[in-house]
Amino acid sequence: MNTDPGSDWERPVTTDGDIAVVNLESARRRSWSKFIQDPRRHGIAEAIVENERLTAQLVGDISALDRLESLARQLSQINAESARTALIQAQVASMTHRFTEARRFLAGAEQDRAPLEEVSRIRLNIDQACGVDLDGALSARREIATKSGRLEDLVALGALLADLREFADADRIYRQALREYRDVSPFPVAWVCFQLGMLWAELVPRPQADRAAQWYRRAIDCLPRYTKARIHLAEIYASSGRTSDAEALLLPALESGDPEARWRLADALISQGRQADAEGHLHAARVAFEALLERHLLAFADHGAEFYAGSGNNSRRALELARLNVANRPTLRAYEQAHDIAFNSGDREAASEVLAEARIRWGKAAAFASSPLDKRFSEEREGAVA
Amino acid sequence: MSDHIDGPRQIGDPAADLTDLFAFTSPENPSRTVLTACLFPSAGADAMFSNAVSCSIVVRRASVAGLGDAAQFRTGDQEIRFTCRFDLLERAPGAKPVQRGTFTLPDGQTLRVVVNDKNGASTPDGIFRIFAGLRSDPFYLAWLFANMRPIPNLLEHDNVLCIVIEFDTRRALDTDKGSLFGVIAETIPLAPTSPVGPLPLRLDWVGRPEQTNMRLNYGPGIEDIRDLWNQQTPFAIASEHRGMFLQRLKESFAHWDMRDNKQDWTPSALDANARVFLDDYLLFDVAKPITDTSHLEIEKSTINGRTYETGGGRTVDSNVIDILVTWLVNRDREFLRGGATRATKPGTTVFPYFAEPNMELQDIAESVDLDAAPDRVWTLIGQFDPSWHPLVASVRMIGSGIGQLRIIETIDGKQIVERLEAADNSHRSYSYSNISGLPVSSYIGALEVNPRGSGSSVTWRSQFLPNDQPDIVVKAIVTTLFKTGLASLKSRLGDSR
Repeated sequence: MNTDPGSDWERPVTTDGDIAVVNLESARRRSWSKFIQDPRRHGIAEAIVENERLTAQLVGDISALDRLESLARQLSQINAESARTALIQAQVASMTHRFTEARRFLAGAEQDRAPLEEVSRIRLNIDQACGVDLDGALSARREIATKSGRLEDLVALGALLADLREFADADRIYRQALREYRDVSPFPVAWVCFQLGMLWAELVPRPQADRAAQWYRRAIDCLPRYTKARIHLAEIYASSGRTSDAEALLLPALESGDPEARWRLADALISQGRQADAEGHLHAARVAFEALLERHLLAFADHGAEFYAGSGNNSRRALELARLNVANRPTLRAYEQAHDIAFNSGDREAASEVLAEARIRWGKAAAFASSPLDKRFSEEREGAVA
Repeated sequence: MSDHIDGPRQIGDPAADLTDLFAFTSPENPSRTVLTACLFPSAGADAMFSNAVSCSIVVRRASVAGLGDAAQFRTGDQEIRFTCRFDLLERAPGAKPVQRGTFTLPDGQTLRVVVNDKNGASTPDGIFRIFAGLRSDPFYLAWLFANMRPIPNLLEHDNVLCIVIEFDTRRALDTDKGSLFGVIAETIPLAPTSPVGPLPLRLDWVGRPEQTNMRLNYGPGIEDIRDLWNQQTPFAIASEHRGMFLQRLKESFAHWDMRDNKQDWTPSALDANARVFLDDYLLFDVAKPITDTSHLEIEKSTINGRTYETGGGRTVDSNVIDILVTWLVNRDREFLRGGATRATKPGTTVFPYFAEPNMELQDIAESVDLDAAPDRVWTLIGQFDPSWHPLVASVRMIGSGIGQLRIIETIDGKQIVERLEAADNSHRSYSYSNISGLPVSSYIGALEVNPRGSGSSVTWRSQFLPNDQPDIVVKAIVTTLFKTGLASLKSRLGDSR
């Protein structure tokens, strides 16, 4: 595994992040205006989905999800029976982690003769997000990435390899995506840098904070309004005692409306002994999380669980959300989160249940051997024998 | 569209996506020529230029190298190149961000310009004048090509980013050496995106309108070669690809010829047409008149075996799609007119000649789900007569069919006049414009009924620009009108919830 943090990095020349966000917002508003003008117009709903996806994912504007749901609703009122509506509904449901609904819409789209390639692409995303048939997904992803060479296909392959704990391969594929990028939009570059940050901060068994921080900084360098990158980098700074740096990173992210920014800011302030300042942010984060969970329960169940397991200080709610997340998308990572929360809150019975379920579902997969759950399982078994 | 979103790769950064190229005689001064490149399809009100892209307009001297079935044009090797690059945004508290650009002129001079400054900038000797900024999209496309049906302009109310260059024709182009030129525009990333590996690829380029979306990518199910085309070097298509592109154009033109089920092109003329269009640059002759109808005349006359009579080029108001479609489908036997005869705003006679950008329209959309079957609902509300609406006291209808007027007296004594613009009983929908009575302009409303489960769904939408009153007030007026009407349907026909 390459341990040199990004030695071959040369930042691609991309449009300034500020300009790109202004232009994205401008295109987003115009696409909605055209949709209102003529909702049946070819490609316009699809353009909205793309613009809102970028807005949610890279600018951190969570209200984009509300707008997407409104789009799906409006399309269903206008043309409920069409394959195109079903495809959009499937994408929106998938983006908000309503995977069962997404599959239902997809089946409808298929029945109505939606383009097979589109259906397969969305189904593959859903399978990957839910940890279903990952080996089959890997073959498909490799084939697609080889054929198209497009950055988004390489990133999807990298993410799947990371899910399968093939971290060196994931790193290689992400770097390949960056190396081969020949466009000027900063969004894809920032996205890959963020994925690399996640890989080295949160997915590998032994996190490399400096290496991850480097990638998060690069993501922010490309796209200063990349809320998620700011939050994750702030976490690294805060955990290494650089709480003022964390605070400076998070303050501009508050306007995005992402409650995690307030939560992490509160954590940084608490570390600085500014309890009173933190209190307001923590309260606002709790209110905002609950509001989000009310509207998009499945999309934010894992984030909510993490919040309540931490400064949100409500382990019961944390476990409830984590188990909901497992039921919705039984990935190895979802099991790990639920187990951690149950175990750390002292609910050994729930922890054992989660572990048993995880083993049934993932025990035979190669990835399980590098999961902390495997070690936990061995410890439990030894304890039982002793 | 002309060159709008003309390949998967352009979709990456819309500010690198060239939409159109123009070459025309200055409306202010016939001794001057204007070249313009447009970027960013459907740009919103705040759109800015990319700071990572250079946009060039490149002119080469051209000549006729053959007539009739041997029609061909040649271009010289020397380039007259105008290049512009843009800076980062300058931000000041409480003010809109400002962007500046730098134009490099063919003689190496540079000229700075503030984006959206309609006065632009000029060289001290006045030979060159430049503008960069948001303008109303001059392009219009009003066809549904799948069935050759005229439709309203698909780009109504769109804006684009424009780069306008005006110059003294004789001094900038040295017309003593000839008056026929070919011009292209291209966007290129500023620097290599990687220190190793291949050089940066061209992002986009454009010559004549619609080389990519209509001619190369002429129908569903064919391999998309637009990205490959966009990466070719203008004026020098790679020899290893020429045959493939030529074959595609021949197939495309044969396909277009039969769109009206009549063959107007002989195989040899069709081949000549394909060869001429393969060399994709916009031809213009500064010694002849360039008018709203002269677009493609140079190519068409040459293919027809005649000496061309106009300056070709492309003016702001050229109806380029109808001109092209007519040529491809019936070789000018009968002019084919789309559903619009002008863009949202026509060109102007003063610099920078492209109309002010369209303001952002306000949108309203309200809907209601009903128990009643769609046909029953449509019977009640599908006629343009709005007597069913509870806020309507009386209605007088004038005329019938498209263009019909409804003069509405509201229960609070106001009069609203509206015009039927389109009606489609098979889709249970109609659209209308507001003539007077609401504090709005550019108002378009649409009402439609769709099946939903065993009942129906009624959607009422509108877009408009508020006049004289704050947006929020006008939106409240229109929303109240819609909501009250739709709520009345619930009580008459049953709420599906």
